[in-house]
Parts: sequence; structure tokens; C-alpha cells
Amino acid sequence: MLITQLKAKETIVSLVDGKKVFIINCQGCKEVRFPEKEAVELQKELAADGNVTGIITTDYICNPENMKLRLQKHMDEIKAADVVLVFSCGVGVQTIAEYLEDKKVCAACDTYPMPGFQGVTPLEYDCKQCGECYLNLTGGICPITACSKSLVNGQCGGSKDGKCEVDGNMECGWERIYRRLAQIGRLDVLKCPVQVRNYATDDEVSK
Amino acid sequence: MENYTKYKLKETDELVSLLADKDNLFVVACNKCFKEFESIDEPDCGEFEKLAAEQGKTVTGSVKVDFLCNKYHTEKELLDLIPEGTENIIVISCGLGIQTVADLAGKPVYAASNSLNYTGHHGMALTKKSCDACAQCYLNITGGICPIVDCSKSLVNGQCGGAKDGKCEVDCNKDCAWEKIYRRLEKQGRLEEFLNQPVQVRDYSKVNFKVISEYVKSIREERLDGYHGGVHPSERKEFSEHIALERFPEPKTVVISMSQHLGAPANPIVQVGDTVKVGQKIGEAAGFISAPVHSSVSGTVIAVEPRLHATRGGEMMAVVIESDGKNTLHESVKPNKDLDSLTPDEIIDIIREAGIVGMGGAGFPTCVKLKPAKPVDTILLNGCECEPLLTADHRVLLEFADDIIFGLKAILKTTGAEKGLIVIEDNKPDAIELMQAKVADCDNIDVVVARTKYPQGAEKTLIKRVMGRQVPRGGLPADVGVVVDNISTVKAISDAIQKGMPLIERVATVTGEKIKKPGNYIVKIGTSVKELIDYCGGTTDDDVLIKMGGPMMGFALPDVNVPMMKGSNGIIAIDTDQTKEMPCIKCGRCVDVCPMDLSPLYFAKYADEENWQGMKDKNVMDCVECRCCEYICSSKIPIVTKIKAGKNAVRGMK
Amino acid sequence: MKITELFERGEFVVSAEVGPPKGIHVEHLLEEAKTYLTGVHAVNVTDNQSSVMRLGSLAMCKVLKDAGLNPIFQLACRDRNRIALESDLLSAAMLGIDNVLALTGDHTKMGDHPQAKPVFDLDSVSLLHTMKLLEEGEDLGGSKLVGEPPKFAKGAVVSPCSDSVDAQLAKMERKVMAGADYFQTQAVFEPEKFIKFMEKAKQFGKPVQVGIIIPKSAGMAKFMNNNVAGVHVPDEMIEELKADKEKTKAGITGVEIAARIIKECKPYCQGVHIMALGWESKVPELLKQAGI
Repeated sequence: MLITQLKAKETIVSLVDGKKVFIINCQGCKEVRFPEKEAVELQKELAADGNVTGIITTDYICNPENMKLRLQKHMDEIKAADVVLVFSCGVGVQTIAEYLEDKKVCAACDTYPMPGFQGVTPLEYDCKQCGECYLNLTGGICPITACSKSLVNGQCGGSKDGKCEVDGNMECGWERIYRRLAQIGRLDVLKCPVQVRNYATDDEVSK
Repeated sequence: MENYTKYKLKETDELVSLLADKDNLFVVACNKCFKEFESIDEPDCGEFEKLAAEQGKTVTGSVKVDFLCNKYHTEKELLDLIPEGTENIIVISCGLGIQTVADLAGKPVYAASNSLNYTGHHGMALTKKSCDACAQCYLNITGGICPIVDCSKSLVNGQCGGAKDGKCEVDCNKDCAWEKIYRRLEKQGRLEEFLNQPVQVRDYSKVNFKVISEYVKSIREERLDGYHGGVHPSERKEFSEHIALERFPEPKTVVISMSQHLGAPANPIVQVGDTVKVGQKIGEAAGFISAPVHSSVSGTVIAVEPRLHATRGGEMMAVVIESDGKNTLHESVKPNKDLDSLTPDEIIDIIREAGIVGMGGAGFPTCVKLKPAKPVDTILLNGCECEPLLTADHRVLLEFADDIIFGLKAILKTTGAEKGLIVIEDNKPDAIELMQAKVADCDNIDVVVARTKYPQGAEKTLIKRVMGRQVPRGGLPADVGVVVDNISTVKAISDAIQKGMPLIERVATVTGEKIKKPGNYIVKIGTSVKELIDYCGGTTDDDVLIKMGGPMMGFALPDVNVPMMKGSNGIIAIDTDQTKEMPCIKCGRCVDVCPMDLSPLYFAKYADEENWQGMKDKNVMDCVECRCCEYICSSKIPIVTKIKAGKNAVRGMK
Repeated sequence: MKITELFERGEFVVSAEVGPPKGIHVEHLLEEAKTYLTGVHAVNVTDNQSSVMRLGSLAMCKVLKDAGLNPIFQLACRDRNRIALESDLLSAAMLGIDNVLALTGDHTKMGDHPQAKPVFDLDSVSLLHTMKLLEEGEDLGGSKLVGEPPKFAKGAVVSPCSDSVDAQLAKMERKVMAGADYFQTQAVFEPEKFIKFMEKAKQFGKPVQVGIIIPKSAGMAKFMNNNVAGVHVPDEMIEELKADKEKTKAGITGVEIAARIIKECKPYCQGVHIMALGWESKVPELLKQAGI
């Protein structure tokens, strides 16, 4: 799941820089996160210079068919613009850029990963689709995502008071794993063979 | 279309060795997501059970679940399903589902599947595009082609020397991303711009997991606060929230529908040519669940005939009155005794005779609500106005605060409830402040501030949010000791008691980005919507969608020559939206936002298959038609239309 | 010379630790090592310690070896993928550096290049496993090495005073399983905890060197308590450092404390590893006081 944050104002202004601009806001994932207020404010400022040919606020521009339908009545405004500025995640920007192939299409946001469920309520944990599920060895706590270093053979020496060296608010994933295994009486799985990650698992999606 | 299915069963060898020291297995399989919603049954669970049987294992049971990683639903439903004697839980799902179950089960949980490995995060449609969420978007220098996902090496300064015939060295079926980037930039005349870019160095500290985990925590708390589900559409109340109420000019004619409430339409009791006065009853209630209708003007009845109805999609009986502009009051309009002297039954009679119905939109006769079959301890006044754009109730709160408190006291008296709570969303701080000051010396009335979320104003969600009580499936608020009334309804009750004035006018907002001059008006029932729009300067252009009510639950008006009714809290003129219905991709969002904990995706599927029994089994009758599912749907499926068809069919099944 | 040979001979093995400079001038470090560390059996060279970029461990090891010292090549998994790790292991063996200490490494965010990509392709356990494979003449990719395979003294680390000692022991067991020949520990200030740890750790039958830091001041002790994982300096020790500031500043108190810890731990372990952190000059005195 993805969330977005506005790029630095200077960056966005430099992308536009006196040119005619058409603005697309995608609020499909707003329930997860979209910097709506900041985007509106910035767009007001951009529009004050008189260089904005049009603004639309829509959702799911990553869905190409509906995106095309929705852009239809704005094609003149898009034609009149030098730059199409897209406020969305990277998937949205790429979808627009492919459709408006001859236009300079720019991203006004940076995209951040959001853990978990693809609905709108993210989870505290994530799955990195490693393709070689380790959960059987870890009592169901994912070492790839729960450990900052994605270690698969046990914890490093960096945790202090049970917290990760990278983030004092984050519990050490491997200490959680150890506790969980103790709790379900499965500490024996720690005697499994040395685990070496396989990054060569195919980009496989069952058809 | 792509298929983002996220897992496949582990290899048989691995499963056999996994099961070697385990028995008494309970199998949980996720029904998969991000694929076309074609079949409900996925084969993996059966395959695994077969394998377990071959290994001589006892399977204590199995269950197939939608969106296993939806922790709220899984927590609510799954644990009760695990039979006695289960020693190990085997989960067939992606890593998220497995972790969810492992978190909740308190028993050893094992994965029988591997997540499928692919790069980047996909969007909300089944396309090839994905984004790696690198937190430092490079698309601005690459012509909108992602170098992180599309280049096997995620190079950010140009291609490596590995491409052969434009194909990647890692996968000869894959185009070299940097060649694509080069070609696109060349086409757009942006090569020089690219060559002048400073050297790019990736910053891996940009993805700040600390910030993300804190955000997840906060958004989980917020989304799950009060009640599950709900959405936050752009409020856009700034168009009209600060505009004071204005009395709408006297209409020349009014069209007063006999169907302005839930239940049987009223029977007209006037004839063409009759002279009527303001507040005179012109339609008689036609049963227990019905309401009388009164004239909002003084003048002459010029027609009693079916007229176009705003929300019922056809013509309904109406009384058309030409106003004489004098506003002569009918003799029946006179103040009642003071509240202390009135008995509960007398108050209910006044409310019934005044034709008061729920003015939030539903139009349920208020007098019926105020005689609940079960004891009631709390009255909730719904001042949430959670619909975007509308500000009618907000203005009523600000300008008729005393009337609201009077009306609430009357309701407390009729129902014998101990406590009255006025619930206002936190986007109306002025109303909150005013009402708090007004109720400061009332012992049994309080103001409750609720964090803005749609559909907070729906009865059942409001009760859940404020009281923490769950109205049972198919039940009524009174089942949990609560009656909910809308702010404007209570104001009408106050008018009926204090002035003897039946419900002949209401406050309505005329707004939307396409209305030239938005405002809040006191409008006579029967006033034409067209007159209202014209008075507000008309619409900015013809490409407009006009709705009676808010953008979420309002009714589209293809013809604006329809009258305002008791439940018409607003007229909005908004931009049109061109979309087409796409296949459901099982993204799970509708399930996640449904405040009634339903699975709307099934309603869409079953309606298309005319599987009405299926809809009934999935509790379609509990749907409150709040439209959250339709709002969040990434495939733009008109789910509520399908739900309505289903409800009609289910009603017909009896 | 492999440090394992010393353990086998039953020696109480002493090692010390040096950190290469951020720059290319190693003369000072070399001089200090030659002056103060000739009395130890081996000298660890840290590998971009605390994720702060410095001159490479392997090059420094070679310089020390040429000067007649016995270096231990610390190798962290943070900065290299498995190809680079294996390649560096072969390079070390070729240069005659056969003591390798396998570490996971601090996270990149802890150091002076927080923007860097943290690699962690392998971790300490799988690195030990890889070393064992190389010793058997095969690499992690399954290819055979040409000629006589390398032989290493495969070191690993453990935190005996960690607040989650059970989990540490489990990891230690995995390291033993993966091929660790001996262990150096995180700094110990609480001998009783170490002794308790050793009661459990001795089941693995691998020599353990107790880790020692000479405490320089009360401030340093508090800093470690707050920031360094698995290290805890008890209050009375901090008081001791506070008592006579001049004596502490001169290093006398620190050396006394460190010597005391070594003496208490010695009966329970097979060696000592001294992390002098710039006080290399105190090492001879410390060893003298500790009776080694």
C-alpha cells in the first residue's frame, strides 16, 4: 500500500517555473493518506500566477480506463499546458505519463510505503513478498519486515531494552519472535538449518 | 488484466516435512485479492486438505475467509470458528494473513503458502504499473517511467551496458527501462534537460520507518475510533458554512407532495379552487406510519394531481397551491400550553398533527419514534451533518440554539429518557462552543464532540460512536435504549409546541462548486428547486450534476422542476464525473469502509447474478445505503443501485 | 596464526582491538600497536565500526601482519553482498590473514552515511556458514573453488549481559551450528551476569573471550548505559569513577576496574578481548594488574 507526501515546495515550483500547468489530484487513497490541505494551498498559490490551465480532483488515476474518461473533457486545458503536474503516488504519475506520452508529466509527491492491508486501514505489519515465507520458523512474526535488518537467523547485538537500534520505539523483531516461540512452545525451531535468503525467486505471478 | 494474487501453496515436499510433527490441524485459507472477482472458491484449501489426509493427519476443520489480513473482521469472526482439539493452525495466505492469524490465535500458526515475489507496489487497478515507494520520486527526470521498478538494477543516472537489442540483461523479455526513458525524453525534447541533471545519489534513509509506523498507529486509531469503517470525503463546507440564514422569497406556487415521509402517502383533503391558509392541513395521514401535510402558503389550490417527485423517480400525488403572497395564518396555528403543563401524550399528538418527520433525509414519522416499544434512557440529537457540502443543520444549531434545547426537552419528557446528548462533529467549532454554553445549566443535556467521519450521522453508527452500543442486525435504536433525532426535526418540534406551527418550512443549503452564489435558506415546503437554483445565480455552466441532499446520499435530479420537501436539506450543483463500471478486483476497500461490517463486493456480484438468496445471506437488509462502498470503489461499481435491487428482491421473497 | 590454535593449547587468549583511521595515514596506529599490543595474542581490526566510514579492515590487517602482529579481520554484513563478502574472505586468506570475526554490523542509520543502502544480504550466522563452505572448497553459489581451500579461525560475537540473554544464547547456538570456532563478547561490567551466562554457554563447548572496555569516565559509563546495546555499567562502578576525578582521568581507576573484572571472569572463560578505544597505551598495565 502506498502513501504520498508533497515534494518540497521549491522543487514543485521549479518544475512549473513560469510555464503553463494542468494539475491532477488523485484522492483514491486519501483514506490512507493524501496531503489534501497542503496540496490545495500550494495549488492556490500556483493558480495565483495565472498559469494554471485547469485543476481536477479525482480518484484512482491508476485505473487507466476511467482516468481516460475523466480527462476527456479537460483535453483542451491539458493541451494548453506545458506541464501536467500530478499529485498522486508513483503508479498514478506513470499511468498519466504513459497516456499523455507527448507531455511533460511531473510528480508533485514522493511515495512512501505503507505496511499491510490493501483496504484503507493499514496494518502494523507488512509482507515484503519475499517468495520464501519464513513465518514457520518465527512463530508467525515476519523477520523480513519486523527486523530493521531483515535478519533471518536471529537478532543482531543492537537491541537495547528490547528496542531496535534504528528506532527506540520499535520492538526488536527477533526478541518478539523469541517470546512468541517460547509462548507457543516452539523454541526448537531455532535449531533449524542456517537460513540464506534467495533473492533469485522469480518475479512470479500465477496466471 | 494483471493478477496480483499474492500467494501460492508451498511445494509438496516442504509441506510434508512441515506436517511431519504436527497433527489436529485447522486450515484457514484466504480467498485471495487483487484479481478479477470471478469465483468465490479458491482451490488451495482443498488441495492442502487432500495432502494432509494423505499424510494421515486429522483436520479439525477449515474455513475460507475474505481479506484475512483485515484484522478487524478476522478478529471478530475467525477465533470462534476454531474447533476444540485443534493443535496447529495452518494458514494459506500471503504473509499478511498469516501474521494476522498468528497475532490473534494464541496457538502455533504455520504458513502453507509462499507470498509471490514481485517488485514494487501496485495501484488500485490490475495494470502492469507499479511503484517502489522510494520516497524520492525520480519520475520528473525520467519522463514518467520509473527507473527504480522498471530497471532491474534500479539505476538512477542512465542505463548500464547490459542491454541487448533494447532488452534487459536480466530478462530478455523486458524492455530496458533506460532506453524507454531516453526515447520518451527525446520525443518530448527533454534530452538536454536530462543531461543537465545533477548526479543522482539515492537516499535510503528517506523511507523513515519510524514516521510510517507512527502514522499507521495513528490512522488505525482514527479509523477504528468510535465505529469501524467510514470515509472522509472532502468536506467543502467553506462555500456556505459562514453564510447566515436568509428567508427565501415567497414562491408564487408551491407543489406540496403527499409523499414526504416513509410510509403511506397522505390523502389530500382539499380540492381545486379551495382557499387555504398557512399551516392548514391539506393532506391527512393515511395510517400509523404516515404523516399529515400542511400548506406552506395562503392562497388557492390550483391542482391536486400527481407531480414529479424528487426522490422516488416518478410522479406522486401533490397539492399545487398558488400563493396570494399574504401569508395569512390558519386558525389552528396558535401556541400550545407551556412544556410543563403538557403531558407526554399531548406532546406526541402535537408532533403528529404538525406532520413532523425525520428531516435528516429518511422522513420517518417522528411521533412513532417517540413512542418506542422499549424503555429509552438517552436521546441523541444528531448535529453531525456528516454529508460534505451541506451546512443547513450547522446554521440551525447556530441560529436556533434555544429552540433546539426546547425541542430536546420536549422529547426527553415524552420518552422519559434521563439524558439528552447533542452530538456535533468537530468541524463545527462555533456550534459546539455555542451549544456548550447554552446547555451549561441543564443537568440532563450535554454536548458530545465527535471526530468528523462519514457516515457518523447514520443512526446506528452514531449510537455506536457516542454510546458504544451496538444496534442488533435488523434492530432499532430503541433496542439499545436510544432514540436519535435530527437537529432540524427538533427545531420543528419546538415550533409546533411553542408557535403551533406545523412543519411547513425548513432550512436548506444551496451549494456546490457549480453554484454561483451559495447560501443557506429558510425555504417553504413545495418551493421549486429550479427557483432556488435561479435565485442563487444559477450554475456556472451546463456540465453539472444537481442533487437533492449531499454528494454521498443525495438524489440526482435530472429535472429541477421538483419541489422541496420536509427531508430536503440541500440542493447541490457539482461537477459531473464520467466513469464506467469495471470488474471488481477484490481490493477489499468496500469491506474496510462499511460501517455495518458488511461485504459489499458480494452484493455487486450477486446482483449481477440475480442471486438474491446470496444477498440475503450476506445481510443485505442491514445496509444503510450510506454509499461509502461506492465512494471507495476503485472499479466504480454502482454498488448501492445493486444493493437496492437486491433489497427489493429480498423483500419480495417473503 | 589462527587464534583457535592458542585455545587448543589451553592458553588464556588475549586480544585487543584497533579501529583504522578515516584517511590513508596509518603510521600512528601502527606505532601504537607495535608499542603497546605486542603482548597480546591477536589484534582485531574493526570494519567501518558503528557504520562510520574508515580505511578498510582488510588493508589494515595486512599492515599489522607485516609488522609482526596477529590480526583478526572483522567482517560485517552491512556493506557488502555475499559476492563481496566471499571475495574479501578469499583475499584475506590469500594474504595470510586467517582470523575472521563475523558480524552483522550496525545499521547504516547509526553512522555517518545514514542515506546509504543497508545491505544485510547475509547475516552473521549465514556468513559463518559461508566461511565453512569456503573451507570445504565451495562457495555459496555452489561453485567449486580452485585449488586448496582456505582455512579460517571463525570468530563470532555474543552479548552476555544483554537484557534478553535467552534470545542471545539461542543466536549463539545458531552461530555454533553454523561453524563458529570461538566467541568474543560485548563489554562486560557485571561479572556475575557473565558468569551466569557462561554456565549456560559452556554447553556449546566453544572458547569465549570476555569483552573488556577500560572505563574512561563516569560520563562515558553513563553514555554507554544509555546508548550501547548489551552494556550496563553498575551504579557503584560509576560512583567509583566519580570519586577521584584525577585518578580516573589518568586512567588508573579504569584500569583497576577492568583488571578486577578480568580476574573475576577468568576462571569461567578462555580469554579476554580488550576494546581499548584509544587507550591502547593502558593495555600492558591492565594485563599486568589482571595477572595475565
